[in-house]
Amino acid sequence: MQPHLKRAFTLLALVIIAFILVRSLVVPGSFGQYGWYRGDSVNELRNLTVNYAESTSCGGENCHKIIYDVWVKDRHKTVNCETCHGPAEKHVLNPRETLTPANDTREYCGKCHFKQIARPELFPQIDPDTHGQDLRCVYCHNPHKPWFV
Amino acid sequence: MDISRREFTKVGCRIIIGATAGTTIVESLITNGIAADNSPDQSGYDWEKHFWGFVVDTRKCIGCGRCANACKLENKVPFDEEVYRTWIERYRVKKTSLETREEEVVIDSPNGGIDGFVDDIPAEELKKSYHVPKLCNHCDNAPCVQVCPVGATYETKDGVVLVDFQYCIGCRYCIQGCPYGARYFNTEKGTADKCTWCYHRITKGLLPACVQACPTGARKFGDMMDKNSEVNKIIDEERINLLKPDLGTKPKVFYIGLDREVK
Repeated sequence: MQPHLKRAFTLLALVIIAFILVRSLVVPGSFGQYGWYRGDSVNELRNLTVNYAESTSCGGENCHKIIYDVWVKDRHKTVNCETCHGPAEKHVLNPRETLTPANDTREYCGKCHFKQIARPELFPQIDPDTHGQDLRCVYCHNPHKPWFV
Repeated sequence: MDISRREFTKVGCRIIIGATAGTTIVESLITNGIAADNSPDQSGYDWEKHFWGFVVDTRKCIGCGRCANACKLENKVPFDEEVYRTWIERYRVKKTSLETREEEVVIDSPNGGIDGFVDDIPAEELKKSYHVPKLCNHCDNAPCVQVCPVGATYETKDGVVLVDFQYCIGCRYCIQGCPYGARYFNTEKGTADKCTWCYHRITKGLLPACVQACPTGARKFGDMMDKNSEVNKIIDEERINLLKPDLGTKPKVFYIGLDREVK
């Protein structure tokens, strides 16, 4: 073979080897495992911490069974515990980590129940100017059993 | 060039053999990096057996903003910044004179709906008004996945579009590429960020934070591979619609009671 061709091929071989080396160093190991992305990231995202524990973890025999049984039968059963009480996973894992008391101001109940034109008509709403004389709603209504005054 | 036929064939054969050998070496090196096991299985969750779907019933939404609030707390979205993985929009269509027939629609979403809405247009001026919760549509044919230059965003086998926070370079192409405005730039992480349908929750059998926070059941989440799931029942029986179906993105968030103004 002519020497200038030999040189060209050697150079090509070196380039290929360099490419393979750089690629193996730069591209993460799990890239392409399942597709055009880093396979490990699926597990990283799956292992993020959970903050909301869901209502089923509240009504245990030794926990909040009484209030849970009241809530689960009444009309506020569609409102999960943590919607008002806040994320509780830490409390479930360690009961000593207590939650801050639920917001029982008039404004908080009003987030759902103050009359608003864009809300569905059949949804129970009150006019804050005429109903309840600026008292806290929980003064008359039990949030766990709302139609019982 | 002075070259004999024999020489030409020799060199040609070498080039062909070299090229094939080179590509095989590269390919084998790439596949070597791939683990033999083919499911990121950790705790009995098999992503081949699920395909998630989401239903939003706009007729039930009361605009309380508990979903957007719970989402921010669950996913550590910067709470005081105006960025949201899910948010509520309020649509108010004003009354029009019969001559012009020009419709004026007022759309707002103050702080994503977290602080609620204020009735600042009197009811007499409005024809209709309603809330529409929005979130990432987890498109089966996602534009954001296509435009990512580094492969940092992808759709999993169970149908969730995710962002690889370690690999994202923060170029914001995907934020521009999303026709639904569902992505935002997370200044704390320095990467693009979006709704994951709470992937860390659904793979453990929990519901996404927004679904479990919704007090009226306007948000429903379920497995489209499960024949008896609520989501499948709604898709089969109700009159559902998609956001921007003409784009061919194949969204997996299905809407009930979607009005024509909602895009």
